[in-house]
Amino acid sequence: MREQIITQKTIADPRSHYGDAKASTRHFITQRLTGVSNIAFLLLLLFVVVRLAGEDRGDMVETIGSAWIGLPLALLLGIVTIHMRNGMRDILEDYFHGRTYRLYMMLNTLFCLIIAVAGIGAILKLVFWG
Amino acid sequence: MTVRSRPLSPHLQVYRWTITMTMSIVHRATGIANYAGSALLVLWLVAAAWGPEPLDAVNGLFGSWFGQLVLFGYTWSLTHHMLGGIRHYVWDFILGMEAGQREMLAWANVIASVVLTLLIWTIFVWVG
Ligand code: HEM
Repeated sequence: MREQIITQKTIADPRSHYGDAKASTRHFITQRLTGVSNIAFLLLLLFVVVRLAGEDRGDMVETIGSAWIGLPLALLLGIVTIHMRNGMRDILEDYFHGRTYRLYMMLNTLFCLIIAVAGIGAILKLVFWG
Repeated sequence: MTVRSRPLSPHLQVYRWTITMTMSIVHRATGIANYAGSALLVLWLVAAAWGPEPLDAVNGLFGSWFGQLVLFGYTWSLTHHMLGGIRHYVWDFILGMEAGQREMLAWANVIASVVLTLLIWTIFVWVG
């Protein structure tokens, strides 16, 4: 988005719109849907952590390496990163705009992408190559 | 006729403290904490995929008193944010917004998050 200069006239005009109505509605719905998925993620995470906290690699391969656990975990973790990026966008929109906003948003995308690639990559390694 | 002066621009400090306001802020704070905490989960997964030595190192880190403190906080943050998210779903159906109801939901949010976190750690860590 282009940097906008908001004049007094814009503020006084009841027809002026702030932000992107379509995109914001999409972000709202995305956040609700991924949030529901995150409840499932947290339940699976609780199961996995309770079984594996402090255990050695053999046990990790046995549990997460099982496709029935590993593949859903990988999928749900991917959805978590969508929720993370979308939620952080919400926060950034509140405090930054213009170039600063775009810079932080880029770092946000980068962080979430790294989490997704590293996390899903590690799980798939355990599932398919032990 | 008396003329009322125009209102001043409001700022965060001028608001009276309310539990609903606090829970709104905490939902945002826990969202950020969960965002950062995801790096801990991925660190563990990557170490396990990498090999026994990295996994031992991460297990040592997470098993230390400081690691356990952080993981306890992470558990609470996830629990609180999850319950806060469910509270948003209730509001999405235009329920629980009346005076009294919203305060009740906000208090239920904190209390349930603390109880659930303590339950999880008691059953699976301290006793289990
Ligand atoms: C797995 C970890 C999770 C992470 C990393 C995470 C992260 C975030 C972040 C950064 C925000 C933005 C906060 C804000 O706008 O103030 C957010 C908002 C939200 N989260 Fe999560 N969250 C997680 C789990 C969940 C769960 C389990 C639920 C559902 C029960 C949920 C439901 C929501 C909802 C509904 C919002 C939007 C709140 C609003 O509209 O103001 N989240 N989350």
